[in-house]
Amino acid sequence: MSHNIPNDLKYTSDHEWAKIDNDVATIGITDFAQNALGDIVFVELPQVGATLDKGATFGVVESIKSVSDLYAPVDGEVLEVNSALESSPEDINQNPYESWIVKIQLKNPKQAQELLSADKYTEVVEAQ
Amino acid sequence: MKHTSLLADHLALGAKMGPFAGWDMPLQYSGVKQEVMAVRESVGMFDVSHMGEFWVKGPQAVEFVNHLITNDFASAELGKAVYSPLCREDGSVIDDLIAYKLAAEEVLICVNASNIEKDWNWIKSKSSGFKIDLTDESEQTSLIAIQGPKSSQILSELDFNTSIDTYATLRTNSAFGEVILARTGYTGEDGFEVFCTHEQAVLLWRALSGLNVVACGLAARDVLRLEACYPLYGHELSDEWTPLDAALKWTVKLDKADFIGKEALTNYQPRFRLIKLILERGIPRDGYAVKNTNGDIIGKVTSGSMSVVLGKGVALAMIELAKLANVPKSGEIVAVVIRNQDYPALVVKDAFLKGGRA
Repeated sequence: MSHNIPNDLKYTSDHEWAKIDNDVATIGITDFAQNALGDIVFVELPQVGATLDKGATFGVVESIKSVSDLYAPVDGEVLEVNSALESSPEDINQNPYESWIVKIQLKNPKQAQELLSADKYTEVVEAQ
Repeated sequence: MKHTSLLADHLALGAKMGPFAGWDMPLQYSGVKQEVMAVRESVGMFDVSHMGEFWVKGPQAVEFVNHLITNDFASAELGKAVYSPLCREDGSVIDDLIAYKLAAEEVLICVNASNIEKDWNWIKSKSSGFKIDLTDESEQTSLIAIQGPKSSQILSELDFNTSIDTYATLRTNSAFGEVILARTGYTGEDGFEVFCTHEQAVLLWRALSGLNVVACGLAARDVLRLEACYPLYGHELSDEWTPLDAALKWTVKLDKADFIGKEALTNYQPRFRLIKLILERGIPRDGYAVKNTNGDIIGKVTSGSMSVVLGKGVALAMIELAKLANVPKSGEIVAVVIRNQDYPALVVKDAFLKGGRA
């Protein structure tokens, strides 16, 4: 099955996407991830202002039958959360790349360059 | 890994496959919500051919099955099906099953896929001295469940004789030849199960597809059974507990003739109480702790999910009776611990699909 993997975004091997604007990263989960999860029914968001360490869990996405942790792709501070997802988590299924989850103020902007390109992430998905 | 005769059909329908009890099974097709709602409002079909089928034949077939299981099989009329735990002498649960009284000397026992070998060894070991012929036909038998308010109508279109009672069974003709049809299921809706050959299963599945019956996977099946508050072996039932720990007193007929486990169950003081919970926020999952209003841990969730019909988190939880003087009653609030946070949960009396009234 082919998945939508936009070229202008960065990715992680945990199936998250990141849109980098200067030193702010907007984070969501990929089309592959939403499809693998199925009907998303619950999103747990972090507190605005929380400090995130790269690789640590910062939230949860639940489908009817599963619970998946969200991992911080970079170090930083939570600037904003998409609280609309609390009442309509299914938006992630419908528009995974518009349904952002958090915006993170990058602590170390170099980390943005370590994220995967669309091509690299395509290889990750194809290996699944 | 084993697979059913319908593997190619599942893949063609775009099923997400996954391992279950050593089988590669369809977990979901179009989506769990859609599949659950098809069964609640219309009709859905499930390939549950991984389940086990044992045949007991002979003059003492009914007597033997009645001796094996805790529920009353002897009094059941010909053509009736009986749900029952299968227990050891100490009352612990080996499995739960449905026994179908096909004829005076012929009984079909349907068991969980995960327990086929354990059940077979147990049943075989208890059969000596009975005039019966026991066979494990799990490998040769397919099982298709057709569930939902429109299941009878759909099967009539395929020439099945659906004029049987709930929890009844008969050997009947159909557009695919003779099969065993039973008005049983695991969804809380009206529905049927068809025991047949692998060849018949493929023809039946494709014919049902042609009639736009929604293919449903094991994920939807689990949500449906939880909404109906049916126990699942490995969750509410286990080798460690008796049926009396799992709200199955109605299946233990202490006044019937001798059966395996009777003495132990007669004297047994339940250690657990199964309660039903609805959460306004948060989704309970298997293993999550349950606390009372004092903040004491009183038990754990044995099955939890988002209910599709309610749009809320629901759970079955086993409360340890030794830990508290008062068992939470329906209408009371307890808490489920989700990621170190307490989420309020209402204790209810009714099954979730009926709205779970407190």
